[in-house]
Amino acid sequence: MKFMKNQLRRTAVGAIAAIAALTSFGAVASADEITGAGATFPQPVYTRWAEQYAASNGDTLNYQGIGSGAGTTQIINRTVDFGASDAPVAPERLASNNLLQFPAVIGAVVVSVNIAGVNGNDLHLTGPVVADIYLGRIRMWNDRRIAALNPGVTLPAVAIAPVYRADSSGTTSIFTSYLGAVSLAFQTTIGAGSSVSWRAGIGAPGNAGVAGAIRNTNGAIGYVEYAYATENNMATPQLQNRSGAWVRPNSAAFAAAAATANWASAPNMAASMINTAGQANWPIVSATYILLPKNPTDGARSLKVMRFFDWAFNNGQPAADQLHYIMLPESVRAQVRQRWCQVRSNGQPVWSGCH
Amino acid sequence: MSIQPFNAANYVRRRTFSLIMDMICTLAAMLGLVLLALILFTLIQRGMAGFSLSVFTEPMRSQGGGLSNAIMGTLMQAGLGIAIGAPLGMAAGIYLAEVGRGSRFASVVRFVNDILLSAPSVLIGLFVYQIVVIPMGNFSGFAGAVALALLAMPVIARTTEDIVKLVPDSYREGSTALGARDSTTISRVVVPAAFGGILTGILLAVARISGETAPLLFTSFGNYGHASSMFEGGMASLPWAIYTYAKQPSNELNNLAWTGALVITVGVLLLNVLSRVSHYLVSRGRSQ
Repeated sequence: MKFMKNQLRRTAVGAIAAIAALTSFGAVASADEITGAGATFPQPVYTRWAEQYAASNGDTLNYQGIGSGAGTTQIINRTVDFGASDAPVAPERLASNNLLQFPAVIGAVVVSVNIAGVNGNDLHLTGPVVADIYLGRIRMWNDRRIAALNPGVTLPAVAIAPVYRADSSGTTSIFTSYLGAVSLAFQTTIGAGSSVSWRAGIGAPGNAGVAGAIRNTNGAIGYVEYAYATENNMATPQLQNRSGAWVRPNSAAFAAAAATANWASAPNMAASMINTAGQANWPIVSATYILLPKNPTDGARSLKVMRFFDWAFNNGQPAADQLHYIMLPESVRAQVRQRWCQVRSNGQPVWSGCH
Repeated sequence: MSIQPFNAANYVRRRTFSLIMDMICTLAAMLGLVLLALILFTLIQRGMAGFSLSVFTEPMRSQGGGLSNAIMGTLMQAGLGIAIGAPLGMAAGIYLAEVGRGSRFASVVRFVNDILLSAPSVLIGLFVYQIVVIPMGNFSGFAGAVALALLAMPVIARTTEDIVKLVPDSYREGSTALGARDSTTISRVVVPAAFGGILTGILLAVARISGETAPLLFTSFGNYGHASSMFEGGMASLPWAIYTYAKQPSNELNNLAWTGALVITVGVLLLNVLSRVSHYLVSRGRSQ
């Protein structure tokens, strides 16, 4: 009896010692990691950049796609080093929380469908039709308004299952801004925003969640950042743009839309690229933004965030091309670096390139 | 009262009723077992699809990779959580069973402990977010461990109290009769006698907290790589990795989520077996 008890006690002491060793190992290791949180729309490219950056510089970035709304809350609470949002944050909110906003990269939202027996990539849809689907006015794939856009395609009598983002989302903000721009009915009944009251459909969290829901539901339609669609071989219908041309989603169409952005006159660098005119333009393109505290408690950490994005601006092109994101124009990147000078610690700019 | 004569009709009726009830009970028990077997079968079948050695050696990546960082994170957070929660829970349980037995204060503590025991774990996570994450200015594995400690503590307090109460009063009386103080009686007689049961309670608490996702989402946050520190920046955990990978639209990552679920189930199962074996060994030792 005594032997057993001693044995047990020794095991328990051993276990506690092992735990203590594990824990202190974690505490001793260096903390050269920056943490960011927010939009899932740019997460594929940020993650790829972070992997390459860690390989070349050793500094690591932990980026968690928790949605634009949640990311903005976290940087306001100062629990992360930077926040990320696809929807530009309102100027008053930036000012009251002492945040600097700058664009990081440009991406596109695409419509994706899953209809058994139909090649979704050859499907043609217009903005107003997509808006009416999300308003619950078009409920079946063989609706005559869809059939009229797709002569020669046999559309099944399958109910349409619209998928939307359940969390507060910049992707939703971009998509609803587009639908609002092309459909007065959508603008007046649902309107644009990061989380809106959808009339019909299935809610799923994050871009990945929406992509997963589309893939698992016959008759589904949804909206995701293009990288999520291509990486997962999802069907992406063509859309009719503002100039009346049919466009397939691809890097060239996104770049054409990005080129029309008017950066000079946009407050807080929130330039719109939605529903732009031009034969080649994809209609749903947007920059995605980074939020940094202007008064960081630890300037060194903010500097690390800037170094990361500076590295990405200089070396991020291959990963962006691969994932079909569009780099910011060189002039805009220079403007962003200039804006970093507004981040001050102890009265001094944190970024080195300031005079 | 006279003895009733044997009534054949009554006898048959009762026999039939008993037989039917027996069958219903057996069916209910079998349903539970079949469901458990189905869960385990699905878990093994789906989990093996993504299983390889790299699950234990590679961290999570945007494509491929393993779960080593998540396994490590769960070990560290559950380990530190139990290191904080177990002494507190044991102390509370011993207090309730020994010192405060029958007092008004003890019944209040017991009541509050029961509330804590049934509190939704996501609330614990939000609470720790407010008291640890925001003041520290960053997410951390430490914050996750605090949340897990708060979940483990009431479980351990409850089991400790129940087990300590089972120690016969004759032990205490004998110890006191030999001139031992109360503190000596508790530490040298009562707790050693109940040690096997207390250990079982601790192992059950470990099993419970290593499967928790909700309290970690806003405390240890998650990390696709190995955490650089326990106190700064997010840390991965197995339940978080399952939650993240299960909703990805990639089959490869979904399979890895199943593998993570398998790893955690096997781990918890082993702990349960360990607790049974340790309990058996101790009780056998006592009876000799």
